[in-house]
Amino acid sequence: MINIDGLSKSFGSIKALDNLNLNVKKGELLGIIGPNGAGKTTAIRIICCILKPDHGDVMVDGYSIHKDPLKIKSIIGYLPEEPNLYERFKARDLLKYFSELYGVPRADINPRIDELLELVGMTHRAEDRINTFSKGLRQRIGIARALVHDPKVIIFDEPTMGLDPATSQTIRHFIDQLKGDKTIILCTHYMDEADQLCDRVAILNHGRIRDMGTPHDLKSKVHADIILTLRVKNPLPSDQEAISGLTSVEAIEIGGDKYIISLNSRKEISKIIDVLGSRVLAVNTKEPKLEDVFISTLENRGMR
Amino acid sequence: MNFITITRWEFKNTIQSRKFLLIFFLQISVLFLMLMVFNSFAQNMENNEALSITPSLSGFATLDVNDQGALFSKRLNSEVLNIENSTYQQAWNRLARGLTTGFYSVPPESVELVQNGDQVETVLYLDYRDPKRSVVQEEVNSTTRALSSALTTSYLESSRPQNATKPPGVTQTTSGESVPLQIIRKVMLAVLLFLPLFLFGNLIIDSLVGEKERKTGEILVAMPLTSADIIIGKSLAVVMIMALQVGMWMLILLAAGFSLKNPGFVYLMVVLTAIPLVGLTTIIAAYSKNYKEAGIGLTFAYVIISGILIIPLLGYISRQSFGANVSPMTLVMRIFSGEIIAPAEILLSLSFIVVFSLLSYGISVALFRRDDVVFGPRPGILRIILDLMGLKRHKNRSK
Repeated sequence: MINIDGLSKSFGSIKALDNLNLNVKKGELLGIIGPNGAGKTTAIRIICCILKPDHGDVMVDGYSIHKDPLKIKSIIGYLPEEPNLYERFKARDLLKYFSELYGVPRADINPRIDELLELVGMTHRAEDRINTFSKGLRQRIGIARALVHDPKVIIFDEPTMGLDPATSQTIRHFIDQLKGDKTIILCTHYMDEADQLCDRVAILNHGRIRDMGTPHDLKSKVHADIILTLRVKNPLPSDQEAISGLTSVEAIEIGGDKYIISLNSRKEISKIIDVLGSRVLAVNTKEPKLEDVFISTLENRGMR
Repeated sequence: MNFITITRWEFKNTIQSRKFLLIFFLQISVLFLMLMVFNSFAQNMENNEALSITPSLSGFATLDVNDQGALFSKRLNSEVLNIENSTYQQAWNRLARGLTTGFYSVPPESVELVQNGDQVETVLYLDYRDPKRSVVQEEVNSTTRALSSALTTSYLESSRPQNATKPPGVTQTTSGESVPLQIIRKVMLAVLLFLPLFLFGNLIIDSLVGEKERKTGEILVAMPLTSADIIIGKSLAVVMIMALQVGMWMLILLAAGFSLKNPGFVYLMVVLTAIPLVGLTTIIAAYSKNYKEAGIGLTFAYVIISGILIIPLLGYISRQSFGANVSPMTLVMRIFSGEIIAPAEILLSLSFIVVFSLLSYGISVALFRRDDVVFGPRPGILRIILDLMGLKRHKNRSK
């Protein structure tokens, strides 16, 4: 559905995108994660034909950004980080304005707006002005605005940035509802969000894709299934050898009295504790997260 | 035709805005105030009670006169003209030395001719190198008309029964304003009608720069619209608002008793002038990063626009050159003066409007098409000029 081919873009001496290549399949939800300044927003703006690349091309549903930008714009729904809505408009009028700009047939506009207002839970605020809305409500209207022309592709840039947990969860719920029916690109800083929603995740840094795969595949690249963290009294040099000898232990990292052990199986946790005996002060286990993958990817490439 | 959607919504939102309505009615109040002051000022001038703050044209030009019967010379406005009684030969010498602007010759038998009811043929010689000649010409014409009117009135008075009273509803009027008042009245009216065009320039700034400052421009650019749709759509809405305001001002002027000759044509010319004027403002709005920059740019633009409109008008008053018709304000002033405008003169003015409009909107669209101008980092003016002239190729243009 979306094919990014050798995309480069510079702002003065700063290279925002450096030969970026990426494919998004029809109906897929692709997450793009990366640190600030990685090039996420630039990539998105180029896909939406807001910016023009220095080199490379993007094909969206068979249309090139160079030849058919208006076609591409008409099949994309875009929600920027800040919804940036016209403050003086009433919610319904705003959706009507954008429906007309997108060329939605007149007869379909009002039913479509009603449907979207219901989807985002804003029916009761339809006649209120945008400047009376909180950030969360604006984001809801922003989502409705992005969907007003029933686009094939939807692009969300940090849709839950700065929102409280409950509103973030509601927004994630909207995105989840769209999954499968639409092709979606989701740029986010929140690894949990990407993990929860995305079919695939691309890690972007310095304008290039550093790693890409399903959240599970990415997580398995970094760690085993479990990470065991122990605090030990009087650590001994022989401890590392004794623990590494156990079959399910993938890696061990010792820093002072803190042992971080990657395991494939929970079964050997008790054996490790037996090795250390009464010197164990605290035990903590956790499953690896996408955040660990992200940090690890950046660390491996010396980019932090 | 997507620009029509933008125009419709922009117009609707502006008209519904309380801030706009406040400005709109404030302007109309100022117009009323100006009319009151102007009328009072004009009345004072007519009654020779003008205050010292009014510009004095005393001794503005010198006119040599040969009028033995003093029929005309004593009626010439000595507040404007220095009148020198001369013979034909003296006058020629003075004209050649640039000591006088003209020579007005009245036949010696003028008094007898008038008494016999015959036509008096006077001759006015003017130094066409002297820009003051049009004032002298106007003053002589005005005197001739006033004298003619006085003789007609005198004739009518003599034929009227002495005890007759005026029928109800009939008022006595006089004709023949002094030259300064004529100039002020015509120029003032023209300036008044063009004034709304300057009062609403901030609308296009708000419309375009506001999109950048509020960051709503990103969404607008992401719509299936061309840069031309956005620029034309927004500009057209402002032109429509100006047209509305100009219409209201004309109605107020008519209601206040001003005589607006050929109001339909005058309205059309003023509204057409709004198109390039908004275009020039749009260039500034398209390039400016914020309101502060746009405000500075707008000041420069208005100085340029005022120059383009007013300088040819003043040029026409002094020299009556064909080229002065390039300014629509000159045409409007001439219409108010009752002059007949030649089609070539209208064409000149319209050509100016069309060329200026195409140029200004072309530049605005070219600027708005550049993502570096809209989203930054914005290039310098020199680089943009080189790009626009095709001397440097720019890669980052969107449709």
